[in-house]
Amino acid sequence: MVRGVSLVYTAYLLLPIALLLIGSVGQSWTNSLMPSGLTARWYMDIWQDPSFRKAFVSSLLVALSACVINALLAVPLAYSLYHGAQNNGSAAARLVSAMPVAVPAVTLGFGYMIVFNSDALPWLGSMPLLIAAHAMLTLPYLTLALLADLRHQQLDKLEAAAATLGATPRQQFIGIVLPNLRQSLISGLVMVAAISVGEFNLSNLLTSFQNRTYPVVLLQAFYGATGFACAATVVLLLLASTSAFLSSALLLHNKREKLGLPV
Amino acid sequence: MSLVLSEVSYRYPGTTQGLRGVSIDVKSGELVAVMGPSGSGKSTLLKLVSGLTTGHTGRIILGGVDLAHKPVHQRNIGMVFQSYALFPHLTVLQNIGYGLKVRGLATREWQRKAHALLDTVDMAEFADRPVTQLSGGQQQRVALARALAIDPKALLLDEPLAALDATIRGHLRDQIRQIQRRFKATTLLVTHDQEEALTMADRVAVLKDGMLLQLATPKDIYNKPACKAVAEFVGLSTVLPATVVAQDRIDTGFAVLTTPTGTRSVGTSVFALIRPEHVEADPPLGTPNTMQGTTGTQRYLGASLRYDFHAEGASQPLTAQARAVAVKAVAVAPDHVCLLDF
Repeated sequence: MVRGVSLVYTAYLLLPIALLLIGSVGQSWTNSLMPSGLTARWYMDIWQDPSFRKAFVSSLLVALSACVINALLAVPLAYSLYHGAQNNGSAAARLVSAMPVAVPAVTLGFGYMIVFNSDALPWLGSMPLLIAAHAMLTLPYLTLALLADLRHQQLDKLEAAAATLGATPRQQFIGIVLPNLRQSLISGLVMVAAISVGEFNLSNLLTSFQNRTYPVVLLQAFYGATGFACAATVVLLLLASTSAFLSSALLLHNKREKLGLPV
Repeated sequence: MSLVLSEVSYRYPGTTQGLRGVSIDVKSGELVAVMGPSGSGKSTLLKLVSGLTTGHTGRIILGGVDLAHKPVHQRNIGMVFQSYALFPHLTVLQNIGYGLKVRGLATREWQRKAHALLDTVDMAEFADRPVTQLSGGQQQRVALARALAIDPKALLLDEPLAALDATIRGHLRDQIRQIQRRFKATTLLVTHDQEEALTMADRVAVLKDGMLLQLATPKDIYNKPACKAVAEFVGLSTVLPATVVAQDRIDTGFAVLTTPTGTRSVGTSVFALIRPEHVEADPPLGTPNTMQGTTGTQRYLGASLRYDFHAEGASQPLTAQARAVAVKAVAVAPDHVCLLDF
């Protein structure tokens, strides 16, 4: 029974991907079960299409910037939430964990549109605003990953030990907290990158024509040939799954390293 | 270097738990065990001395210096945590050398000292292992070496053996004590294990509800407990309510026993404390303090037997421990009936 359900579920997940792969190399695909002909034309088209190339670069730039900003914000944020929660309840921590659910990207997007479409703050459509929005959207995920790790490892105990050994709070943070958060920071950042790369709602509302991200341009592809749309989607899929594989590979590497196994 | 706690009080915010006027003096090189049931405040005491908890009243003085406003990292007090709190991202050697490294010692210098300490705890061959690969007992020894590496002015041990198997606990107990003596470390040991406290400590402090009940040598704690709570917490015993009926005579309600009553006047209510090993089975006729009765539950302990003896007319059994079980009578020598005031 369980096996049956998981088989159906796997098919449900993989079938669209399989169809996309097939479609992306099919010459023509209209009103038939399978496309006819084999071609690499669609990938070449994407490669030669300046708007796709530009969007690809924009997406990478936005994702990378969001990662840098998040790394700088989330570590101190999670750290202070962890210590704050021990002293006076965990209202702040709960708020942060509820944020991604309570504030959907669309809400955030409309908010930004209203605020930054004014004379005082006319930044709608600018790259920095888009990056800031992506950073805001993904920050809770990274913060939560770090927070969970802080709790799991009970880093406050290690800090206490370091303190009794003479480490200043700064030395504790740099020598004890940061190295032990390395794993969750890396995997959290890969998650941030994956979310940012695939993000459509917010980007669609906030981008100008000049700095459209890949998913926004992807929508345009569906007004054209099926094969082109499929190929464009496969590229996005590759971009996102590279992140996912990278993160799991890193985690596995760290785990083996910790257990002293050959890596 | 001596450690003096004078009238130390602390209350956890929003609760009635904490410490109430605790005074303990630990002489230079002495090991004082702080013992008490959970919630007695013994861990709080350790946290206050280490500086991990702040906001006490009273004074904590180490080597003549009041620690009140000194942050943890400036106190130079070594601490071994119950969970060891070893740094998982560092090797054994790096863990031990951490305190020296943060003091700015050159790599060669701290490594030399750390190696020497590894030898002390018999773990020289583990220097480059990650600490995550060590057994509990090994982690414990690394934690001890790490705390000693900084030449601490005092050593705090928080339930150092609680997480270990009974089989290695005894061995480690001796080893810790040996090392503590060699380093002449002024030491506070917190434990809820009375055997640990009695075997390791020069003196034992018994805490309950945040108050110090007694501070004395293990022998005195066991043989001359200051009150009923200490007697009940340390070792097994039978505590019988009784009344002084004459000089050196008390009445327990089911038997009149002979015991030194000291200056207590007739009619004084007391508790009579009887340790199980002092209950003599089937004594010869005419032995003082003989009680007739029957034997109840027996527990085989290997080297001896522990059993309940129901004296005639008694409402609670007498706990006894011996090689053989009493058939119809037991006796307790007058000197072994210990009187405690209400």
